[in-house]
Amino acid sequence: MSFNHIVIQNIVRDKCTYISYFLSSVFSILVFFFFLIIAFHPMMEAIDPNSTLGIVMILCSMIVYIFSFVFIIYSMLAFLKKKTKSLGVFIISGASTKQVQKMVFRENMLIAFTATITAIVVGLIVSPLFLMVVKNILEADSFGMYVPVQAIAMTFILFSVLFLIVSKITTRFIKKEEAVQLLKADVTQEKLIRPTPWRLLLSILVSAVLLLPLKVSPDVVESLGIVYIIMLFISLLMTIYIVLTQGIWLTIRRLQKSASYYKKTNMLFVSNLQAKGNSHAHVIYLLSILLLAVFVTTSVLYSSYYNVEENTEAVYPYSFQYISHPNNPIEKEQQDIEFMETTLEQTEGDVYAYQSAFKTDEDRRIGFLSNTHFNALGTHEAITLSDNEYYVVAGNAGVMPNTDTIQDYVDDPLQYVGLEERMILVSGFRAVYYVIPDAIYDALNYPEYHVFAYELKDWTEKRDVAEKIEAQLMTESGERYVSSKISLYVDELFVKRVIFFIGFMLSLIFLSAAMSILYFYLQTSLAGEKEKYLGMRKIGLSMKEMRVIVTRELSILIFVPFTIAAMLLFTVLFSIRDALSPAFFQMTTVGVGIILLLFTMSFFIIRKAYFKKLVE
Amino acid sequence: MSDIILNVQQLHKDYVGEVNYKALKGIDFQLKRNEFVSVMGPSGSGKTTFLNCISTIDRPTNGSMTINQKDPYELNDEDLAKFRRSELGFVFQDFNLVHTLTVEENILLPLTLDAVNGKEMTSRLAEVVKFLGIEEIMKKRTFEISGGQKQRVAIARAVIHQPSLLLADEPTGNLDSKAANSVMTLFQSIHETFQTSLLMVTHDPYVASFAERVIFMQDGMLYNEIQKGDHKQQFYQEIVDTLTFLGGGYHEL
Repeated sequence: MSFNHIVIQNIVRDKCTYISYFLSSVFSILVFFFFLIIAFHPMMEAIDPNSTLGIVMILCSMIVYIFSFVFIIYSMLAFLKKKTKSLGVFIISGASTKQVQKMVFRENMLIAFTATITAIVVGLIVSPLFLMVVKNILEADSFGMYVPVQAIAMTFILFSVLFLIVSKITTRFIKKEEAVQLLKADVTQEKLIRPTPWRLLLSILVSAVLLLPLKVSPDVVESLGIVYIIMLFISLLMTIYIVLTQGIWLTIRRLQKSASYYKKTNMLFVSNLQAKGNSHAHVIYLLSILLLAVFVTTSVLYSSYYNVEENTEAVYPYSFQYISHPNNPIEKEQQDIEFMETTLEQTEGDVYAYQSAFKTDEDRRIGFLSNTHFNALGTHEAITLSDNEYYVVAGNAGVMPNTDTIQDYVDDPLQYVGLEERMILVSGFRAVYYVIPDAIYDALNYPEYHVFAYELKDWTEKRDVAEKIEAQLMTESGERYVSSKISLYVDELFVKRVIFFIGFMLSLIFLSAAMSILYFYLQTSLAGEKEKYLGMRKIGLSMKEMRVIVTRELSILIFVPFTIAAMLLFTVLFSIRDALSPAFFQMTTVGVGIILLLFTMSFFIIRKAYFKKLVE
Repeated sequence: MSDIILNVQQLHKDYVGEVNYKALKGIDFQLKRNEFVSVMGPSGSGKTTFLNCISTIDRPTNGSMTINQKDPYELNDEDLAKFRRSELGFVFQDFNLVHTLTVEENILLPLTLDAVNGKEMTSRLAEVVKFLGIEEIMKKRTFEISGGQKQRVAIARAVIHQPSLLLADEPTGNLDSKAANSVMTLFQSIHETFQTSLLMVTHDPYVASFAERVIFMQDGMLYNEIQKGDHKQQFYQEIVDTLTFLGGGYHEL
């Protein structure tokens, strides 16, 4: 019997212990592999790595990889804990710690290797289906099947490295004394939660102090930069943990003091909660954080996807907009306009045409519109200015313009009558536009730009027209500036779809990681629980009473994290409510509702399966 | 009220698996009210299976069994659990204490499940605890006390609801001789003080000699029984002789 023989027999003869670890490894690898399949897709080369989408992709791959790293370490430690007792047998039969480490390392590597291969094979089998789904979600026809050689190679290499490192590290955690101790004692007692009021107070204080500048003085936040964000993040995570454990401690204490403690199954339930307080707190904490990540990714990413039409219109107000530079030859301008109008006439539905002009101070990027020119642009309500009045229009979406600079251009001071925050032309073309009485406009000595704008009915569906026109007319700096909200909308929609899809994948990863952590936890504690309930059933605990205890315990493990995460999410959303649209709240509530439904369903499934295992 | 508390007739138990095994092959047995009986026999003779069938932990394949004229196997799970809590008391070799509970809570467990009111709980607890002499360890956890103490706690839990039948499976199996002696003395005084009927499985002839009657099992059948006479020493000798005859690895000292 060689050493490797023991390693293999360990795995083969004890499948149950290994299977959950194996499956969660396969799962992490599979998700990463799918991610790479999209990332390395030939079509993705079209995406500039410096664009938002490119950065999001890179960032997400990193998150997924780091997450896999952490998750695999977690699974491995959970798995080791489950195995410690059987390792104790090896140690007591004379194996040195080094030999046991070697054995565990080889076992891990064997499982890791099998898991990587399995994940890649499964990934390859499922990838046509997966790409088809992606194709439909992204509405990108070019997302066809391909052989993801790069993705295979990268998955294999990265996970080999990851497993090698993780196995090397985690096997160091095997402690001889602990294993032998486990073997000797029939009951091991985990440490109870202790009240730590000072630590609680301190953590809340630190977090509050760190949160304060976020609300009061954003400048300080900006000057501190990333360091501040990381500090805030860590302090918040720690505070949540401490508040959670202390909350559990307080709840247990109150339950113990309550009059109904000695009623029915309460005593069993509460004492169980107390004995496992720390590990319960651990799991609840991890689940809460993961769930919060799920909520944030889904709601943020989905809501960005939700408002594309309005966001597009906010920056590009017209279906087509042609701005002619003063240097643009008049013949060329006429030719372009003729082409545009004939093309537009061929399309179905109404076309509204607007013609206008503005003068500009190029150096200060200020535009001047006459009252008539302003009214000629059809998207806004017409205004009538008296001789000494002026009106301001913002030039950049979301930026408040300076309302006074006009005084530098006129002899007699004008009176400010109002501000239009919506764009009248493409956002960012000029910093600000001043609408002034026609007479004053005519007197201004600045070059004049001509504006031709067209608005189509049902413009979101006029993609083909936009393509046709933009193929012919491109922006030529210093001559003409062509822009279309239709093509911007199409581009934005694609980006948002990809981001949404990535967000969806990420939340799926977090969600299933949460589920696996719960699964691991229940698996690990199953044997002990089974024995305990068997003993209690012998002295007269009915199945019904047992079900009551199990239901209560599982609902704590499942719904408390959900409640914590939902509360945190809505607290954050509420504190930044001014920046959010009601639609965002709606979407978030729907998202949280869906996850609640999922959780409730899985609660019933888990309860049934767990209960069955317990009484087996 | 009948004089018989436990009535077992033609009790069979088969284990069906890869190899079918008949653990009990038709046992007839009666336990009188306020009687103390030990069950002995070599390993594999079916004594624990017998006890498990009576304690409703195992369901017999065939035969009938009544405790206090009631057939527990006709009850559904919930009523059965209640029946166990009210009619039976259990003492196990491995103590079977719930380690998340304190000693006090362990003893009170059957009463809490029955939702007995607080006042009665306190008075019953005080009575039992005093009787067993475990006042000092009430607030301790189960892993902070010795084996002998654990078994006392288990006995306290078994008798707090004044069961009509106390069942014990190798109650001294995990204890040294000193602790075993004190536990057995305790059983005897419970038997005398509370008029509790007792059925105990053991392989130790000394422990068995505390009973009033010893029944011997072999190969799933009742083999023999001995009544205690006037002398405990003579009773012990008879038990040892029977065991030697049965060949369960017992040798005369």
